[in-house]
Amino acid sequence: MNAFDDETLMRWIDGELSRDESARLEAAALTDVDLAGRMQAVRRLRTAAREAFPATVDARDAHLARLISAGPVAGPSLFARFGQALADAFTPRLAVAWAGLATAAFIGGVLIGPMLGGGSDGLRVSAEGVLADRGLVRVLDSRLASEGPDGDGRGVGLTFQDGERHWCRTFQSHDHGMAGLACREDAGWTVRVLAPLGAAGGEVRTASSDTPEAILAAVDAAIAGQAADAAAEARAREAGWR
Amino acid sequence: MRLDDFQTGLVELLPRLRRFARVLRSRDADAQDLVQQTVERALAARTKFRTGTRLDSWTFTIMKRIAIDEGRSAQRWGRVVSPEDDSTARVPDASQADETLRADALAVREAIHALPDDQKHAVALVLVEGLSYGEAAEVLGVPAGTLTSRLVRGRQSLMQTLAAQGVTG
Repeated sequence: MNAFDDETLMRWIDGELSRDESARLEAAALTDVDLAGRMQAVRRLRTAAREAFPATVDARDAHLARLISAGPVAGPSLFARFGQALADAFTPRLAVAWAGLATAAFIGGVLIGPMLGGGSDGLRVSAEGVLADRGLVRVLDSRLASEGPDGDGRGVGLTFQDGERHWCRTFQSHDHGMAGLACREDAGWTVRVLAPLGAAGGEVRTASSDTPEAILAAVDAAIAGQAADAAAEARAREAGWR
Repeated sequence: MRLDDFQTGLVELLPRLRRFARVLRSRDADAQDLVQQTVERALAARTKFRTGTRLDSWTFTIMKRIAIDEGRSAQRWGRVVSPEDDSTARVPDASQADETLRADALAVREAIHALPDDQKHAVALVLVEGLSYGEAAEVLGVPAGTLTSRLVRGRQSLMQTLAAQGVTG
């Protein structure tokens, strides 16, 4: 009954046991109610600790992002590299809300919108970073940049492949008040970065000048080659982003 | 302005840096100061960052050092710290999105804050940040066995505290 001490159970839930050790422990738990209960307790504590300290975006990150970006760097500006492609992707009449600067936020298991005061329901993302917002997933799956935002203000901007040949797309969700970059992996559209959209103030803005720089920085870090043109984007969609 | 990989990585790390800081510092303003100091020191020390090193572990190490140095300093100056600090530490802070946390999660947060620093650091890196034991030991600059024993003691203490409070956590 005491063959498995607390440390072993903790190593198990932390993924520090070998596959054989884990299998032995899990097999023992099938016939040992007490052991199964102790395993459940260490699992609950781990979950509770993560829930107690969620990774959240914070308005003060904007200041820190500026501090970080103030250092000397080489190469052409992001706007110079991507500005024209974004301008091609969004005609001014369609570019409603690529505004503001922001805060980049890698997230996990976090409901994002309400913390920013930017949306009604928040943007749902699983703990693994997979986008779980069905409307936005549909937009990423099927919408072309040239079609502009849908009726709910969800649209896509740049489409490109990363170094591992995943298709990636920048997106905006006006309702959530967020812009972001997501890449199509086996599990679905995985969010690489999110940034809050600033207040559009009713003014029509151009995508090239108002895409949050944090998103452009993430594109720059991920992109292999050039952004897809309209034809390549359409072909990728037909191929199911594979 | 174009950001290089280091800068982009640091911007992307901000939510996790803040989360780690909030484990180390119960007051939101103190946690924010810790994040800012960490970012400043990381930028100043970037030439020491070697490609291939994990930026998160490297930055957590910086934050841990600052936190420990501050802790020692606070102990030395403890007599002049305003007594209201203890009461303000419990004031809910909207910027921490406390309103979205369940009461159980708040109890867990308080219980973690109440741990001795060495156990709290181990719990923060492994349970909250999801680092491996090896990575966490490196960040804390201790042997793996020491990390493990701190982690076990911290977790046993948390389970006892939370059980006593009737928190299912």
